[in-house]
Amino acid sequence: MHHMKYIVLLAVIIMASCAPKVVNQTTTDATATTSDFRSMAPKPGPARPIEIGDASQFTLANGLKVIVIENHKLPRVSYQLTIDRDPILEKEKAGLASIAGELLGTGAAGKTKAELDEAVDYIGATLNTSANGGFATSLTKHTDKILSLFSDVILKPTFPEAEFEKIKTQTMSGLQANKDDPNAISQNVSSALTYGTAHPYGEITNEITVANVTLDDTKEFYKAAFKPGNAYLVIVGDITPDAAKAKAEKYFGGWASGTTPKYVYGFPKTADNTSVAFIDKSGAVQSVINVTYPISIKPGDSDEIAARVMNTILGSGFSGRLFKNLREDKAYTYGAYSTFNSDKLVGSFSATASVRNEVTDSAIVEFLHEINKLKNEPVTQTELDLAKSYIAGAFARSLESPETVARFALNTNMYGLPADYYETYLQRLQAISIDDVSRVAKKFINPSRARIVVVGNKDEVFSKIASFDKEDGKVQLYDIYANPRKDESETPINITGQEVIDKYLMAIGGRDKINAVKSIDQTYNMELMGMAITARMVQSNGMFYMNMTAPGMSLMKQVYNGEKGIMEQMGSRTPIEGSDLESMKDQAVAFNERNYSNAGYVLEVKGIEDVNGTPAYKVLVTKPNGSKSTEFYDKSTFLKLKEIQVAEAAGQTMTTTNDYGDYKLIDGIMVPHTVTISGPMPTPMVMKAAEIKINKDVDAALFKI
Amino acid sequence: MRLILAVLSVIFMVAGSASAQINKLAFEQYTLDNGLHVILHQDKTTPIVAVSVMYHVGSKNENPERTGFAHFFEHLMFEGSANMERGEFDKHVQNAGGDLNANTTFDRTYYYEMLPSNQLALGLWLESERMMHAKVDEKGIETQREVVKEERRQRIDNQPYGSILEETFKRAYQVHPYKWPVIGSMAHLAAAEEADYKQFYADFYVPNNAVLSIAGDIDITEAKTLINKYFGPIPKSPKPVYRPRVVEPNLASEIRDTIFDNIQLPAVIQAYRIPAQGTKDYYAVDMVSRILSNGESSRLYKSLVDEQQKALFVGNFPLALEDPGISLSFGITNMGVSVEELEKAMDAEVEKVQKELISEKEFEKLRNQIETEFVTNNGRVAGIAESLATYHMFFGDANLINTEIDRYLAVTREDIMSAAKRYLVKNNRVVLYYMPKSQESKS
Repeated sequence: MHHMKYIVLLAVIIMASCAPKVVNQTTTDATATTSDFRSMAPKPGPARPIEIGDASQFTLANGLKVIVIENHKLPRVSYQLTIDRDPILEKEKAGLASIAGELLGTGAAGKTKAELDEAVDYIGATLNTSANGGFATSLTKHTDKILSLFSDVILKPTFPEAEFEKIKTQTMSGLQANKDDPNAISQNVSSALTYGTAHPYGEITNEITVANVTLDDTKEFYKAAFKPGNAYLVIVGDITPDAAKAKAEKYFGGWASGTTPKYVYGFPKTADNTSVAFIDKSGAVQSVINVTYPISIKPGDSDEIAARVMNTILGSGFSGRLFKNLREDKAYTYGAYSTFNSDKLVGSFSATASVRNEVTDSAIVEFLHEINKLKNEPVTQTELDLAKSYIAGAFARSLESPETVARFALNTNMYGLPADYYETYLQRLQAISIDDVSRVAKKFINPSRARIVVVGNKDEVFSKIASFDKEDGKVQLYDIYANPRKDESETPINITGQEVIDKYLMAIGGRDKINAVKSIDQTYNMELMGMAITARMVQSNGMFYMNMTAPGMSLMKQVYNGEKGIMEQMGSRTPIEGSDLESMKDQAVAFNERNYSNAGYVLEVKGIEDVNGTPAYKVLVTKPNGSKSTEFYDKSTFLKLKEIQVAEAAGQTMTTTNDYGDYKLIDGIMVPHTVTISGPMPTPMVMKAAEIKINKDVDAALFKI
Repeated sequence: MRLILAVLSVIFMVAGSASAQINKLAFEQYTLDNGLHVILHQDKTTPIVAVSVMYHVGSKNENPERTGFAHFFEHLMFEGSANMERGEFDKHVQNAGGDLNANTTFDRTYYYEMLPSNQLALGLWLESERMMHAKVDEKGIETQREVVKEERRQRIDNQPYGSILEETFKRAYQVHPYKWPVIGSMAHLAAAEEADYKQFYADFYVPNNAVLSIAGDIDITEAKTLINKYFGPIPKSPKPVYRPRVVEPNLASEIRDTIFDNIQLPAVIQAYRIPAQGTKDYYAVDMVSRILSNGESSRLYKSLVDEQQKALFVGNFPLALEDPGISLSFGITNMGVSVEELEKAMDAEVEKVQKELISEKEFEKLRNQIETEFVTNNGRVAGIAESLATYHMFFGDANLINTEIDRYLAVTREDIMSAAKRYLVKNNRVVLYYMPKSQESKS
């Protein structure tokens, strides 16, 4: 949620100003032509030595390690709690850790979220929690107040159910918003392909996995993951080490000792040869290109500094080769960069840019050109010097912030770096040679292992990028959650809508059997916002009854007696009229598809589309009353997989999508036993059949109005 | 990120620091004969220095037929000078282990270098070259035209909700130059000729339209000598700098519209016209905005996101501008909530501020938050250099870096209520519904 909020805020803010920067290449050795002082850049004066501030460290009895950076420039103190734990594989509950982390801050030690928020805001402080710890900061004068709150949320969280449901709902909405963000899509699919879904870095959170997370899961997660034995409390600012020690003891000394579980993950499988993955974003005006693969390099690796120099030459900032080539020379993009990340588990290389549709293929050519050139040709002395200056300068500038010194101390601990790692960093940087860069480039630059992930406009881009795929010369399509999709757009369609429907009726049992259905009585169970809900639907001789109940109450009831319809909700009854009544009339007919051959129905096959990995015929059905539905029938089994209806309600259009699965035979007829309804509610409703009866006695009283 | 931080500070206009608790930030200022205003702040903690020049030219100074020039210049101004080939500007900075960037708003353009402190002279040389005789060639213009088009695609066209400010400002202003976006018209940039660019440079990139602001590990006497050497010989412009004096009339009535965009979740935008930055009423409006959306206990957030769960995100942000600006409320609907419903709930919160005096406790919270913000804002020399320049250029008083907080603390609870009543009203606003494109044909 915090994350989402931030993104939106930035989206608004960023537009107020436009961007910076230009810069480019072409170097001519502009030697001085006059003795004028302006003709050349002035020489630097003597440099002041770089000093890294001191950190004090101590460990509490419960194992919590505390790092203190004293800095009295401003009257404030910050506290960063970092739990150095192995990431967990969340599988069908992807999103659990992040939900649990956020939940900690929403109720603790008898305080509600509103009370916590009020207490934090009242002193103008900041407090937040995450899956790996938390952060708090305030003015020095509020130290005890903020630490007391921080300690409460970390040590005494109460996991309020209502807040849990809220976070889930907000997470779902955030996922919804991300569906249109090409960068978010690119990141998701790139990680899933790079690390694989059996690796924690490759898991993608989606609506279903979030729906699967229960309150108990979050409590279990907290119990296992929040242990002081693996935690660091980093205190930075206007506080002495002695005072910090007393505060740490007072507020975190009572944290019961323990350590987090160990997990080991294998190195992900890379592509055998350069492969291209494409995710369609219809209407996109730019393609987001990411050339990426996993690398094996841990923080503190002896090659890390040389690799950083190499990556700086390729793609850091405004002087990187990628920026100069793709922006300043070709003007394909606003910016092109590469990153090279070391990591305890598995590192990654990535080169990215957003480019206009028509130059997508040309941009990939340039990416590959620069990457191959880096691998095969030595860099120049000028480039090497420039990169070293860039890194050394950034290192020196970062020391302005006391948080940098804290980060150095934390990294030294977490990654087991030599004690003088940062003090000797600049020395080791200066020692890097052209040969060192060549050596790490040969070792780490592997375009043949790369996946080229493109998020873009399929109609304009897709056909032009197949040649980059060296595995099979074909571009693999994926959905936004990295599920492979088949490209069916080229498949000729030689079937009519009526033929699709006939085959569907045949597939579920045959027209005779369906025509003999007088009534169907279905009961489903589902969970919604933590409530167990039962839905019963009865269609009988053109009448319809539906009742959704939670234990002890009716949530919503709809009845259609063949003439009139009503809806009852929260004790109030309203008649159903107009187009709503018409659609109710449709619902009253069991297996209404049998009537699609009647006069007034228009069926159009709109193509073949992928439904959760299965190719399906997309049929647009226009009913005699003018209402439309888009229905998807499995291309090989002809079972109905999905139906989308768009309805107007209160001036807004509402899209309802039903997904059908788990077909089972009931009295010789195939009936779906799982129906997932998404659209009308914040979270998809997954309905599981409890009982389905066909042509059994139905109590006529159900349909009384 | 640097850009975003810079912009944040511009928008929120609180990049000053001062508080009873901390030492006043000391600085020196003077004006050269050619009109260049100089501000120097010494801080020897870390051996770095921020060298910056703020030009008092933004999109509002543009010819309506040549919009986007101010921002386009921000790109062109890295192209080199009489003594520097194309591409060298950046290289000099990087070779020195420095960093640089620039950004443009409606009101000004800002350039800065972060350098090791022994490279102060380099920063002054670079900025004086840029001011004295920047060189613009055809290759640079052509390339940057395309780059700016990509920038527009990336930031606006391909970005969910990316066009909000553009769509809002073009409705909120009929005559004032804030009506066109900072990034401007691509057609205007394409139509412009070399002479147009030369003229813009001669008109606006002059010492009497700029503030040189330096913060960090400097020796004040040495800095003054160097500044004189590099900037002293640059001539001032022969004529006064063009400043639009356009007064935008009040909106006659509420303006409402619907925008269809590549988004999933509908959003509500309410843009209220507000007074210029620095005015007494501006501070009151800013405080209203903090009541509404500063922190999770703020009213919009607590009520609409936490309690009613009508919004996924909601907030109100005053845009501090030299001429009267807008305060923008922005809410993204939670799934299953209509825009009308969200708008009603947003209105209800504004109405409360108008009808009920805020409590002493909430008022105290507000003041505590402002105090923290002021203390926190001056942690870095880069921010200090920019704040000093901003306070001088737009408020005529660089010392506001120490004292602006007093202006906030002078606002009373009654002032807040009356500002809400006066400015956050229907006939003073533009309301936009952002709807998914998929729903366009239906409405």
